[in-house]
Amino acid sequence: MKDYDIIVVGGGHAGIEAASASARQGFSTLMITQSLDAIGRLSCNPAIGGLAKGNLVREIDALGGEMGHLIDISQIQFRMLNKSRGPAVQAPRAQADKFTYSRNAKELMEHTKNLELFMDTVVDFLVEKGKVIGVVTERGWKISSRAVVLTTGTFMEGRIFIGEYDAPCGRLGEMAAQGLGKALREKGFDVGRMKTGTPARVAASSLDYDEMEIQPGDEEIVPFSFMTDEVTRPQRNCYITYTNEETHKIIRENMHRSPLYGGKIVGKGPRYCPSIEDKVVRFPDRERHQIFVEPEGINTEEMYLNGLSSSLPEEVQRKFMRTLPGLRHCEIMRPAYAVEYDYLNPQDLLPSLESKHLENLFIAGQTNGTSGYEEAAAQGLMAGLNAGLKLRGEAPLILSRTEAYIGVLIDDLVTKGTKEPYRMFTSRAEYRLSLRHDNADQRLTRKAYEKGACDKERLEKLEEKLKAMDCVKELVKSYKERGKNGLALLKEPEITMDYISSHVAKLNDYPRYIRNEVELDIKYSGYLKRQEIEVDRFLKNESILIPDDFDYDALEGLSAESREKLKNIRPHSVGQAQRISGVRVSDIALLMIGVKSARKAKESENGSPE
Amino acid sequence: MEAYTTDEPIYALATAFAPSALSVVRTSGDNCIQMISKIFSSKKRLLEAKSKTLVHGYLQTLDGERIDEVVLSVYRKGQGYTGEEAVEISAHGSLSGLKRIFRALEDVGFRKAKRGEFTFRAFMHGRMDLTQAEAVEEIISSKSELSQAKALDRLEGRLRNRLEEYREKLLYILSSLEVQLDYAEDEIPEEWIFPEEEVDEIITGLERLLSSYDASSLYRDGAKIVLAGSTNAGKSSLFNLLMKENRAIVSSIPGTTRDYIEAWSDIRGIPIRLYDTAGLRESADEVESEGIKRSERLIEEADLILYLVDPIERKLPKEKRENMIILYSKSDIEKGEGLSISSQSGEGIEELFDEIEAFLTKGGRKLDDIVIDSERQRVELASTLETLRTVRALRRDTSVDVYALYFQSALEGIGAITGEVTNEELLDTLFSKFCVGK
Repeated sequence: MKDYDIIVVGGGHAGIEAASASARQGFSTLMITQSLDAIGRLSCNPAIGGLAKGNLVREIDALGGEMGHLIDISQIQFRMLNKSRGPAVQAPRAQADKFTYSRNAKELMEHTKNLELFMDTVVDFLVEKGKVIGVVTERGWKISSRAVVLTTGTFMEGRIFIGEYDAPCGRLGEMAAQGLGKALREKGFDVGRMKTGTPARVAASSLDYDEMEIQPGDEEIVPFSFMTDEVTRPQRNCYITYTNEETHKIIRENMHRSPLYGGKIVGKGPRYCPSIEDKVVRFPDRERHQIFVEPEGINTEEMYLNGLSSSLPEEVQRKFMRTLPGLRHCEIMRPAYAVEYDYLNPQDLLPSLESKHLENLFIAGQTNGTSGYEEAAAQGLMAGLNAGLKLRGEAPLILSRTEAYIGVLIDDLVTKGTKEPYRMFTSRAEYRLSLRHDNADQRLTRKAYEKGACDKERLEKLEEKLKAMDCVKELVKSYKERGKNGLALLKEPEITMDYISSHVAKLNDYPRYIRNEVELDIKYSGYLKRQEIEVDRFLKNESILIPDDFDYDALEGLSAESREKLKNIRPHSVGQAQRISGVRVSDIALLMIGVKSARKAKESENGSPE
Repeated sequence: MEAYTTDEPIYALATAFAPSALSVVRTSGDNCIQMISKIFSSKKRLLEAKSKTLVHGYLQTLDGERIDEVVLSVYRKGQGYTGEEAVEISAHGSLSGLKRIFRALEDVGFRKAKRGEFTFRAFMHGRMDLTQAEAVEEIISSKSELSQAKALDRLEGRLRNRLEEYREKLLYILSSLEVQLDYAEDEIPEEWIFPEEEVDEIITGLERLLSSYDASSLYRDGAKIVLAGSTNAGKSSLFNLLMKENRAIVSSIPGTTRDYIEAWSDIRGIPIRLYDTAGLRESADEVESEGIKRSERLIEEADLILYLVDPIERKLPKEKRENMIILYSKSDIEKGEGLSISSQSGEGIEELFDEIEAFLTKGGRKLDDIVIDSERQRVELASTLETLRTVRALRRDTSVDVYALYFQSALEGIGAITGEVTNEELLDTLFSKFCVGK
């Protein structure tokens, strides 16, 4: 008898989703975290969502996850981004009261059925016959389980840097998890180092607001969760200021004191979220860089300086920060710092996020080389869900690149790996026109329900919405003008849903988001059709599955490089094999022939005709 | 992404690409019968044809212009070589005719098969008792064959360099779009402005490259020149002069050339298929009037018609065509106005060559150093060009995500020739050119 069905190591955003996905399926679950007070902490920027990330949150929600709900009850500013750049690429983003968010997350975990919380540090796994059967903690506990989900974030052998200062921490002031990285290295895991950073927090009362631009939120708040009807939260402004020549001069003069340029940090940092030192070095012609000043909560003094992440010494930070308008008298409450940590090569994972090295071990979040709360949560959810499916003896839920950003995220990780902290981008999703944030429930909720990942209430909510959308379509269709019906009219650029609603009064009985969604479906139908052809072609090779025990060595004619890569990644389908960088077209054809004859051989063995 | 696939309509020449009496073009894939019916004269008979039957008729372009008289062997799904729906086209073995057939097939959506792809498909559909080794062998040998064609590689190398320029330009445009999709308005507040100049530049460049296809086909496949004119205008004398051998019978009795005579020659490096036709006049002689009919048909198909006029009789053609040069013969006896030659003395022949070369190479058809010379490249470029023209014509208030869709597909078109563009490469460009991130 095991102590638990599933143990989740870590209480960050990946851990929260993994633990609750496991518990929702009815498995007895234990979350082990180094600090109960740090569950769901927003270690870096106090915001959830953003381009592509907002889509991830809504997908997590559609699959029964917690993040959407948590931000809906913790947010202090909402904005729909890129409204002017096309509906397919819009995404919601919200500033959070980070203390509220974390408290809500902890309380949610505490009240989740089948889930227990325990404070300790995992230092090793219990392994038997190539399977993980539990964990060993720092305080000497051996806890057994049928599966383990590892979500260590930046804590595994974490080390923070501020100028010449460095310390073994996962976050400033919080001890790193030492020992686990070493244990994994010894077990043959491919462990690497990555780096990320966070800017300083300054006291709200020390800022000169009249020197900065105000950035208010939207008036219309679209809930992240499909289960939330309305968000009623106090809203706060953000502020915008800019660096200048003086700022850049100070940074340049002190560059040698940065651990990044001094060679102390070996891990690779993200290019998309560069430190201010990086920006100054890489874009010497830029006269200024935009900085966002964001409140970390409703009542806290701490303000987050988005865009000013740095690992320079504290006195240098203070000096350059005080050259910015609005920050001339700023007082630093927490300094900016860089953090370097262990990550595990995600190419060693199956698309279910189970380790290829150690059966029943699932790995999610920043441990896999990603960055961002949303990316972590998405993986956590899938890892928790698939760990449960495995214990039930069912096939894992693997989302396709064509149906979810989560599918793109996980496929990229396990197929291509990553050299820098991986962040989700709109441009990574080939079929983004159909991966809108507002239709995530249509894409995913039914699937989740069938796998036992969400409750019936969620499915009923979706069906209600689909019914309403059908009614809206009928009403639109009933409108006639110039011999065309409303559906045809809506395809014209000048005709909007609002225009049709002004003629068909009944339409106004339906909520705006329903009408919007119908409008987008219709307006984009032409482009979607264009995309559909590509999707079909894509899915064809996805459906040619490669047996787990396929023998690449027996495949004649394969180039040595392709053979090596295929053996390493062990793609589950020909489609996935095609995406491995450096595998040749002709080798894919050979693989297809090989897979086909392997299947044939098996069939004749079993005596079943094709 | 390029790949060996099944069911996608493909074609390939099954016989050698050389002038011959008969050539067979194979096609295979979903709906291929229906697709070919769009370029076939007896549409209905083809569509209703039973499996493993023959249908006779004409292949034609989408505009209805006849290409060749052919016999189609029709195979319904599960019956042909590949196990897919298939049509085999038996056509006449002229190179230019075959090229036009390929082009017509591509126009209706076929793509050229990769090496071994028919066998590959046959295997995938479990169609034949083919040994696995055979399919494997064909695919492997396609790799080594590539590296052998060194001369072609050099030519392709130059093309690739040129395309690389356009590819980089497109990549830059696309990343300037993607940066707007990947970052919010407050981070990248600048509005995206359609780079009309750059796009026009790429369009013009691609147009030029495409016309180089005609040029390379001109120098490789040659042009069809037909000598026409009334009887006894001196066509055969000119023919002989051009052929530098006494091939046609020359006499002063009108109507000596009852049928047409053809031969290969070379003018200023351009291979010429030269046709000497029967003189155009009403004739009671059955053989001769059949010859005249054939002459008329040849004239229809000619790249260039040299219309000879006797300077004494001065019988000008009834209709002046665009691809016609009027040429006065017998300048040793009397000079006509305009281009005038004497097949006896050779006078005016250089001027005639100038004129012929100028005509055939006009519109950039002269052999440049950069040429595209495969149908596949032509098709990719043509569709890229089409995409760019479409996006160029979009309303300027179209949203950025839609623009990105088109530029992505244009980039993929060029990538199909120069190598694939990956999302990582796009992000690399994006991060290196734009200062992004909070």
